Amino acid sequence: MSTRKTSLTDKQAKNGTSKYVLERCASVNEYYDIAFKVMLLGDSSVGKTCALVRFKDGAFLGGNFISTVGIDFRNKVVDVDNLKVKLQIWDTAGQERFRSVTHAYYRDAQALLLLYDITSKLSFDNIRAWLTEIHEYAQKDVVIMLLGNKADMVADRVVKKEDGEKLAKEYGVPFMETSAKTGVNVELAFLAIAKELKHRATQQQNEPKFQIHDYIESQKHKSSCCGLM
Amino acid sequence: MDGEAHKGTVSWEDGTLAPVDHLRSERADSPTPGLVEGTEPGAGQKSAMFVHAQSFEDLTAEAEDEVRREAELDKSGECAEGLKVLVGEKTIEEQHNNDITSESRTKEEDVTGEAWRSHRKHVFVLSEAGKPIYTRYGTEEALSSTTGVMMALVSFVEAEKNIIRSIHADGCKVVFLSKSPLVLVGVSRTCQSDKELLRELQYIYYQIVSLLTLTQLNHIFQHKQNYDLRRLLAGSEYLTDNLLHRLDRDPGLLLSAVTCLPLASSARDMVSSGLQAAKSKNLVFSILLAGDRLVTLVRKKDQFLHHIDLHLVFNLVGSSSSFREGEGWTPICLPKFNTAGFFHAHISYLEPASELCLILVSTDREDFFNMSDCKRRFLERLSKRSAYQALKEALKCPSYSVAQVGIPELRHFLYKSKSSGLYTSPEFPEVYQSDKEQERLMGLYQDLHSSLHHPSRPLRSFYRCSETENLLAWVTSGFELYLCFSPLGTKALAVSAVNKLLKWIRKEEDRLFILSPLTY
Repeated sequence: MSTRKTSLTDKQAKNGTSKYVLERCASVNEYYDIAFKVMLLGDSSVGKTCALVRFKDGAFLGGNFISTVGIDFRNKVVDVDNLKVKLQIWDTAGQERFRSVTHAYYRDAQALLLLYDITSKLSFDNIRAWLTEIHEYAQKDVVIMLLGNKADMVADRVVKKEDGEKLAKEYGVPFMETSAKTGVNVELAFLAIAKELKHRATQQQNEPKFQIHDYIESQKHKSSCCGLM
Repeated sequence: MDGEAHKGTVSWEDGTLAPVDHLRSERADSPTPGLVEGTEPGAGQKSAMFVHAQSFEDLTAEAEDEVRREAELDKSGECAEGLKVLVGEKTIEEQHNNDITSESRTKEEDVTGEAWRSHRKHVFVLSEAGKPIYTRYGTEEALSSTTGVMMALVSFVEAEKNIIRSIHADGCKVVFLSKSPLVLVGVSRTCQSDKELLRELQYIYYQIVSLLTLTQLNHIFQHKQNYDLRRLLAGSEYLTDNLLHRLDRDPGLLLSAVTCLPLASSARDMVSSGLQAAKSKNLVFSILLAGDRLVTLVRKKDQFLHHIDLHLVFNLVGSSSSFREGEGWTPICLPKFNTAGFFHAHISYLEPASELCLILVSTDREDFFNMSDCKRRFLERLSKRSAYQALKEALKCPSYSVAQVGIPELRHFLYKSKSSGLYTSPEFPEVYQSDKEQERLMGLYQDLHSSLHHPSRPLRSFYRCSETENLLAWVTSGFELYLCFSPLGTKALAVSAVNKLLKWIRKEEDRLFILSPLTY
C-alpha cells in the first residue's frame, strides 16, 4: 500500500519535467512502480525457457533444445490497471545438478510457475515432488500456478487436461494449458500472476480480494470464444 | 586519460597496431628477442594473471597423487553442503534424463555402421564399472558392450599391476586415460601423438569435473559403483561436443594460452580499473570477453586462474546462447583451482547484441544480487568513459592481418609468451579460409607442437618444407613461436623473419597483450 503511494507521487512529481519523458523513452524497461520476482520451475525440457521467450519477446524458440545453464534472470515490465509492474523472472534449469542453486533462490520468489509437458507423463508425475520441494523451500504465501505446456502437440498428448485440473484442484492452485509455440495462454498466465501480486501488494482494507481463479476462467473463456490461438 | 585522445584513430592500414604515443617506449627500444623468461614480448610487467606453469608438460605429466591430495585437502564446507543437496536428496527425475539425452542429440548414428567407424577421432568416457557416460558420436546406450570391452582391457592390465596407455593398430591409436572414478578413451586416426591425445582427454576430464566437482564424482561412485552418470550430466553433452570441436580448431588449447582482443593499452587499463572498482566481498575473478578473446581479467590478490579453467569458462560461455538475453547464474567448478568445490558465476552480455560478455566469479551461491550490482556499477562507470567507445571500435576488427607485420612470405603465425600465458595470432589468410584448410593448418601446428614437446627428445627448433607451405617452430624459455610461410620461401628467409616478427610483436605488445594485470 505504501509502496504504491510513494511511487505514484514520484511519478506525478517527475511527470511535469521534460527530462522525465526523455528518460522514459530511452529505457522503457527501466521504469516501473512495483517489482515482483517470479520463478519458472519444472522438469528439464518441459518448455520453461520457451514460455518465457514467448511472453517476453512474442517469439518461439524452435529448433534444437538448448538447456538453460543454472538460472537465467530476465525482466519484463507489464501494465496492470495503469500500474507498471516489473516482473523479474527466474528461468531455472530443470536438471538435477542445478537443484541446489535453484533452491537457494526459491525463497526470494513471490510467484512460481510450475510447468509440465502434456506429452510427458513423467514430467506430470514429478509435479507432486516439485510441490513438495516448493513447500519446503519457498515462502509460505507464494503464488503458485500449474501449467500444462506444449498444448499444441495434440497427437502426442499423454496427460489429459482433466488430470491437470484434478491435480491443481487437489493442491488449490490455478491451472491452465499453455503452448509456447502458438502462444496460447502464455501471456495470460504471466498477467494473472502479475495481477494477483499487484492486488496483494496494493490491497486496500475495504477492497474485495482479487480472485485469480475467477480471473483466469473469465479470460480463458473470452479468448477461446473469440477463436484466438 | 591518455586513451581518450586516440580512440578510433588507430591506423590499421600502415601496418601498425600501436597507438600514436608509445607508453612503454623503453620496452620497445630494446627489441632483442627475449630469450629469458619474463623479458619476451608480451610478458606481463607485474605479476602474471595465470597460474605460472610449464603449461603443456604441466598438463600431461601431472601426477595422480597431486589430484588426490588436492581433493583431500580442499574439502570446503560449502561444497560438502552443496553436495548433500545434490546427491543425498530424493531425486525427481529418475529415468527421465535418459529420454532427453537421446531426444535432444542430433547425433543419432548407427554405431555398427561404417560411417560411425570412420570418424577421425572418437572420444568415450566410461565409469569404472564399464558404463558409458559420454560418446562423441552415436548414443551411449548402443555402446555399452564396447565400453565393457574397454574397461575389461583396462582392468586386465591393471590386474598385473600395470597401466594400459595406448594401443596402436591398423592406422588407429587407442589412448587410455584412467582418472578414477572415470576412464577416458580416445580412438584416433589422426597423426597426433599419444601425448597430444592424452592432453585432449585431460580437457574432457576437466570439463566433466567442472560440471560436478571431483568430490561429488567420488562420492557418487563410492556409494553406487554402477551409477549412471549421464543422469547428472544431462543437458551438458553439448559442452563436451563443443570442447572437442575447439580442441581441433583453437590454438589456445594447443598452446595452453589465451589470446586477447587487440586494444590500446590506455583503453584496456581503463576497463580493467572499472572492473577493479566494481568489487565485492566474495568476488574472486572478473573476466571480460569479446567472443573468444580476453579483454581483461581482474583477480583477487594471491588468487590465480589456470588457463585450463579459463578455457572451460570460454567453452561454457561460447556454447550457450542462454546468457545473451538475461543474466545467467550457474555453479561452476574450476578444477585447476579446486576440484572440490563450486564457484558461482554471473554471466551476462554488456548489451544484448554485443560480443562483450562479463563473467563474475563468486564463492557464494547466494551472491547473485551482489554480482548483478557489480555488473551494473561497472557498466555505469564504463559507459561514462571514452574507453567504452574505444572498446566498441576495437570489436569491429578483433584480429589483424599478417600483412601488417611486413614479411611478404609469412602467411600465418602463433606466438606465445610463456610468462604471461598469452598468445597472439593474425587472422587466417586467403589460402586458409575454408574450415578444412584451417583444420589442416592446425594439424600441422599440432605436429610441430608434438615435436617440440616430445617426452624424451624435445626439439628447440624445427623447420619443415612441404608442397603447400614451409613451417618453422622455435621454442625458448621465454616464448613459443610457430610460423607458416609460402612454399616458395627459403630457410634463411624464415630465420631472418623470426627477428623481424619478434621486433614487430615487441612494438605492438601493449595492444596485443595484457601487460599490466590488476587485482582487487
